[in-house]
Amino acid sequence: MNMIETKNLTKTYGNFSAVSNVNLHIPEGSVYGFLGPNGAGKSTTMKMFLGLTRPSSGSFAIDGKHYPENRMEILKEVGSFIEAPAFYGNLTGEENLDIIRKILGLPKSSIDEALELVGLTQWRRRLAKKYSLGMKQRLGLASALIGKPPILILDEPTNGLDPVGIHEIRTLIRSLPEQFDCTVLVSSHLLSEIELMADNIGILNHGHLLFEGTIGDLKKNASFRGYPTDNLEDTFLALIDEDNRKRGGRS
Amino acid sequence: MSYALECKKIKRTGLISAFLVGGLLASLVPILNMAVRSEMYTHANEPALQILLDANWQMMAMLNLLLTVSGACVMYHIEFADNGIQRLSTLPFQESSLFFGKALVLTVLDILALFIETMALAFCCQYWFSNGAPFGSRFFAELFANYGYLLLLMLPVILTSLLIASACKNMWISLGINVVCVFTATMLPTNNFALSLFPFALPFQTLAGTNMDQAIYFMISVVIEIIIIGIVELIYLRIRRCFE
Repeated sequence: MNMIETKNLTKTYGNFSAVSNVNLHIPEGSVYGFLGPNGAGKSTTMKMFLGLTRPSSGSFAIDGKHYPENRMEILKEVGSFIEAPAFYGNLTGEENLDIIRKILGLPKSSIDEALELVGLTQWRRRLAKKYSLGMKQRLGLASALIGKPPILILDEPTNGLDPVGIHEIRTLIRSLPEQFDCTVLVSSHLLSEIELMADNIGILNHGHLLFEGTIGDLKKNASFRGYPTDNLEDTFLALIDEDNRKRGGRS
Repeated sequence: MSYALECKKIKRTGLISAFLVGGLLASLVPILNMAVRSEMYTHANEPALQILLDANWQMMAMLNLLLTVSGACVMYHIEFADNGIQRLSTLPFQESSLFFGKALVLTVLDILALFIETMALAFCCQYWFSNGAPFGSRFFAELFANYGYLLLLMLPVILTSLLIASACKNMWISLGINVVCVFTATMLPTNNFALSLFPFALPFQTLAGTNMDQAIYFMISVVIEIIIIGIVELIYLRIRRCFE
């Protein structure tokens, strides 16, 4: 069963098409890697899932619930982290999570669990504005993970983290479906990163979905089309390059 | 719940202290005025409260207005500065609750500031106008009726300044617009009913010395303004998402 499904999802800003007729199929209990270069439309798609921006056309359903009719029901099930960490700088990490906990109606213990998961327990009483970029990123992740939601939407969650932090968060994301029985949609512009986390991937370029399937399927597909398959980074670049060429843009 | 959340969010912003200090500062206006030139006022024939309000309220109202618009801008600044509002938008939480929660917090802060000012007016009446005799219950009824009236007339300002602040991500823009509105209000004649209905001009009105019919018209207009501003904010929140 698909946890998230889109049908010809499109978002345009004037003449510019940020997302164009995208049909995603994200299976329940999987980690789905959403891949694409900067400006491909990953964040816009995720923002549409969260109701932060309205689709220009097309539709989507999350856990069988349709937008916009069931927006509140969808948000109750989704933990998210979009673009950059969002928090209140004048509050501590713990107080920031407490605001989210109160809105979601969760027990107080959920704050400790979320802080523990992202390794922020030690700095819980520090003001969020005094956090380093990596700590802010972890706070953002903690706010997405609080209450163990069945669906997680994470937009480039390892941005700003050091290599140890990236490894920790990657391992955490990989373990989430098994640990909390949830579905994870995670975006990145690095195939090498997604490769280590995701069961399925979707590749987006200029708002168009170029590929959807498993890493194995991608290799098969690339081999069939004559792209390099030894290194997935090269496969990804070749795919994007050809699409750019077809569109008449820079290669 | 949104009121409790908003109270939590204003932690460490200095808003509560600002309203306390602002209320005390506005309270000093009638006290200092009476301390340095009480002979100008003590011989007048009008009721003590009316004399004090006529002499000092314009300045006190101006301070209250600046305090309120600054409070509104700070309350939305903490939402926009580190993107906290975006996180709330991804939670099962109505953005309108955020607006009305902030309006409630700002109203409570104004209640506090106006109460301090009302107490200062009561002190001035007692000290300079009573000739040693304590004021009766009629005086206090008049004093608190005036307090309630001033508070009611402050509500459209609270809502309008929050509406402006909610629309501007940059606090300096919302503060600028609000301050321009405050100064525009000072240029409007207070004796013109239609012009006095401008939300930022309403707090310059007082109950003491005002014709009761006109006071009722003001109160009805304020209720209508509150409803209109509330509806405008709800419409704004609805349409904003279409353009993001």
